[in-house]
Amino acid sequence: MNPEADKILSLSMQKLMSEITPLLASGFAQSQLGLLGFMLTLAGNEYERGADLRAKENASIRQLLAASAPHVKDTDLQSRLVAAASARDDSLKISALNKANWALRRALIELHGHVEQLSGENARAVERNIWVLLRLIAQERMVKLGPS
Amino acid sequence: MNDDLALRLSAYLSEKLGLGAVEVGSLARIPGGASRETYRFRARYSADGTARDRAMILRRDPEASLIETERSVEFRAYRAFHALGLPVPEPIALEPDPKFLDRPFFIMEEIENCSSGSIMNQDPYGSFREKIGRQFFENLGRIARADPRALTLADFDGGKTPDTCFSHELARWEKVIDADEIEPQPIVRAALRWLKRHRPPPAQKISVVHGDYRTGNFLYDGNGDIRAILDWEMAHLGDPLEDLGWAIDPLWANGDIARPGGMVPREEGIAIWERTSGLKAPKDALFWWEIFASFKGAAIWMSAAREYAEGRNTDPINAFSGWFPLAFHNRILAERLGALA
Repeated sequence: MNPEADKILSLSMQKLMSEITPLLASGFAQSQLGLLGFMLTLAGNEYERGADLRAKENASIRQLLAASAPHVKDTDLQSRLVAAASARDDSLKISALNKANWALRRALIELHGHVEQLSGENARAVERNIWVLLRLIAQERMVKLGPS
Repeated sequence: MNDDLALRLSAYLSEKLGLGAVEVGSLARIPGGASRETYRFRARYSADGTARDRAMILRRDPEASLIETERSVEFRAYRAFHALGLPVPEPIALEPDPKFLDRPFFIMEEIENCSSGSIMNQDPYGSFREKIGRQFFENLGRIARADPRALTLADFDGGKTPDTCFSHELARWEKVIDADEIEPQPIVRAALRWLKRHRPPPAQKISVVHGDYRTGNFLYDGNGDIRAILDWEMAHLGDPLEDLGWAIDPLWANGDIARPGGMVPREEGIAIWERTSGLKAPKDALFWWEIFASFKGAAIWMSAAREYAEGRNTDPINAFSGWFPLAFHNRILAERLGALA
């Protein structure tokens, strides 16, 4: 399917900026169009990496949940973490990846809150591992501002 | 549409403010944030036999607005700090009745021939950064030093004491996150738990807190003088360290932690604030308010993203808020709190 969506978004932004914006008399309209064009660029970047980003994040969270579950004291939470960790992404549609991602994030939030309440070195190690993952997720989720 | 608005504005200024015949010209909508429609215009009228030509700003509520309180708060804050001599535009009229311009609005003077900095720029002020930075922290110190009772703002939001103002603000923004979180936010949730577990020391005093004091929310002129502190709509009473923590958040200079807002070095800015306010900024207390600032920022961006996603306010700035600044504040929170684990 060519041109790809990211190319269409990127060239649409260029057309808006170079040919449409100069025709507008209103400063407000120019500003709105500039921001819309900028969002088209960002959306193009996200089109390219969106599925990959989510699939990798889901895999990383599952790995952490599996490794952390043995240290959880609440058996109900433990079994839910094991179940969440054993699921797989059957579809690479963004909507399907998001659905799985949100469920995994909810499990991660629950795990994090739980281990914060526990004492002992094992709990601290799980907590440190969670923060390593959260820093990685935060870094990966940073929005790329320039064109690809 | 602007012609009709100009005529109605002219009628309002003539009749309601008693200025006599007022000609409204050059009415144009300008960018002014997503929360209100902002227009600039010129009002020409005669006062005491002298012809006047004043540049003014109209801030009108958007359709389906439920922000009565904030509009009134913003107007009163402009009035109080303008009277105190801070660089704040003179407020002219607050009109809650929608019969004049379809929706409530307020009018203030326009400070002309000025610029504002962009948070997307690590060096938004160029050669003026030191000069502007010193004024920036001095002005914030003056806001912190001011007595809310003398400003007749003591009723802003009552019931706060020095040891509870932090929990009021935390609860306020937790509520926003609970209402507006679209996708689960593990970093923001971790930050919330951390903020609850680590109480800051009691506030040294209860001050007026601007609530959004940062790069982009003030205007400066061609000499590098700050001429207008804007956007008081989140003003409230609270711990003055709240404003300082917000002002030095790394987002306001696109990640430059050493020079908050792209102005003076962090330690110099804090020292200026301490000297002007007569207050202290202890490291631990300020760190709590810095974490709170990024947490509050995340709440604001989540709220904007939800407005956009649900079609209530499709200003593209709201879409942008859900992407770049939210990801940015998540990263800041993860780095700062992760370093403590």
